Amino acid sequence: MSFPTGITSINNMAPELPVQAAEDLLSTPMFNLIHSFGVDLHHAESYIGKTTRMSRFERLSTDGGQLDGSGIDPASEVPVRTDIDATMEIYAKSIVTNEQVILWENSKTYSKFTALLGQWLREKEDLLMRDLFSSSVSYINCTGGTNGDQPSNISLNDVNNIETILLNNDARTMLVSIDAMDKFGTGPTRDSFIALASTNLTNDLQKVQGVLLKNAYPSQEGLRPEDYCQISRFRFFVSSKGAKTPGISLNGRTVYTIPMYGLEAAAKIEQNSYTAVIGSRPAWVVSSVAQNSQLYAKFAIARAITNQNWISGLNCTTFNPS
Amino acid sequence: MPFTITMGDSFTSTGAGVKILLPNYADYFKVWNVTQLALQPATGVVVQAEWFGSKFGLGATAANDGIRYKKNGTTPFGLQVDTFANNVSPNATSNGFTYVATNPVVEPQNAAVITSITQANGAVVSQTAHGYSNGDIIQFYGTTGMLQIAGMNFQISSVSANAYTLLGLDSSGFASAATAGFTRRISKYLAVDPQFLYITDISRAIQAVVTFSVDPSLYYVVGMKMHFSIPYSFGMTEMNQLTGTILSVNAATYEVTVDINSSAFTAFAFPLSSASPTAQLFATIAPAGASTRRDPNTFVETGYNFQYQAFHTGQFVPYIFLSGGAQSPAGASGDIINWMAYKLEN
Repeated sequence: MSFPTGITSINNMAPELPVQAAEDLLSTPMFNLIHSFGVDLHHAESYIGKTTRMSRFERLSTDGGQLDGSGIDPASEVPVRTDIDATMEIYAKSIVTNEQVILWENSKTYSKFTALLGQWLREKEDLLMRDLFSSSVSYINCTGGTNGDQPSNISLNDVNNIETILLNNDARTMLVSIDAMDKFGTGPTRDSFIALASTNLTNDLQKVQGVLLKNAYPSQEGLRPEDYCQISRFRFFVSSKGAKTPGISLNGRTVYTIPMYGLEAAAKIEQNSYTAVIGSRPAWVVSSVAQNSQLYAKFAIARAITNQNWISGLNCTTFNPS
Repeated sequence: MPFTITMGDSFTSTGAGVKILLPNYADYFKVWNVTQLALQPATGVVVQAEWFGSKFGLGATAANDGIRYKKNGTTPFGLQVDTFANNVSPNATSNGFTYVATNPVVEPQNAAVITSITQANGAVVSQTAHGYSNGDIIQFYGTTGMLQIAGMNFQISSVSANAYTLLGLDSSGFASAATAGFTRRISKYLAVDPQFLYITDISRAIQAVVTFSVDPSLYYVVGMKMHFSIPYSFGMTEMNQLTGTILSVNAATYEVTVDINSSAFTAFAFPLSSASPTAQLFATIAPAGASTRRDPNTFVETGYNFQYQAFHTGQFVPYIFLSGGAQSPAGASGDIINWMAYKLEN
């Protein structure tokens, strides 16, 4: 690959190389990490295989049970146990650093690259959880919007449908209510389930009937930056990496997937003794002339939907094509 | 700029597309059809093909394309060189390479036009020179006349040059045939397995038989549990939000039998095409764990199948998809294909 100089006249000549320059490090863009904080964290023991089992006993039948004085015992019931299994998987990323970079750049190179690897680790983990939500959950198409597409743009009726499903299945909210305060333009939030959406949907979320935008919550204390609004019993968190599938709506538009869930609907399992390893290999190990060294990050993760009764969600398009 | 060959191997073509996993990514990929190289020329048969990754900037290969070296049919070993997308006489377009590095949405072949879907049990799709293979999974959208299936995935079978069958769709009760629409091929596996599946029918029986748009044996085994999501527009609302255990799986008919008594339920039926876009879609199942069962007579335990029931990565990325066929990188049935993946050292 060649690199043109870009210098074609005196007017766009690049500056001379600075002999000495102070470096003000700018931010590395990072997307909102929304797909992990609403799930349960489990830990897998070491040295007992790579499949983690989580088990749930289903409730006993409430039919019958009355003793009628005849001395006959009611039939016993065999408890039903549902096993949710998840396979541990390992992910890794590395950066090779040439000694000349160390020699000629400032002394913070390793620190910067270590931070980059740490950021990759959290971002990768977030996307893996997103993929779980988008692959292994049933979603219902929005139909209450007015854009004429299937699915339609999101509406209050669509959100309420999901609330009904979760409540009918005895799901529990995970966010506590925020009490009303004597402030103009604010309203109380209800205890809420979580909804995860793409940032492309914010324009439509603002227009849903009854929406309470974040700035209208009575208190801003402890709110996450990703928190966007409340609709019905759901708090919407947004990320530019929210799940979407291009071109599959009736009219060929992008379809956005919104997981909506309560407590103990999904789980992230970390491997004991192996979570978030960041390390380095010195140049004399990596390179025959000791010029390249290597930094790496790796982590182990397993993921699972632990209760389908307590998770549902919506597929939607946007009002304006996106 | 130095190259590193990171992986290489060979395979015998079945005539279908081939997916090659590339854990170290790839910037350049090359195949040789060593069988056809030595044969007398047959016009258009591809004997070598190349793919260039995004590091090549403006020279990068588009999806489902690449450079093809093909027999010219006039001299024993004469070749023509062009791209798979070339459609200038005497050439014809053929399918090439598709490199996939992220989930979801994989193998996005270009949108292809269909001309009809019949009203039949085992609906038949007409699509000129589709290039699909038996077992491929196709996503439909814009299906004029059958809007109730727009957005669904179907596995295809009985493939011929210009048609194929949707074994999992009984459209005989639909109001009309589809007269137009689009498809594209997607991966058999979503990012995570076990995955949700589209339901196309549920019987009313003591043990309900559920039909899917794809072969469920790819994803589910006996003993696993399924959680049903049935919107009101599909009739059998009594099934909505129930969880059942799989008693048997029939790969030939895309069916599973579950331990749910649906005999008194309302009949399952797709909404009308004319009800779109306001009819709620789709009827689906999602994985809900498993329960071990032990048969005291046979001493056989079911419900432990870690290959299927544990949540795990469904589709490894990145990979490169080689389209099948004599005029494509993966060759015709019986061809020996050598391949190499290269990586730039920067």
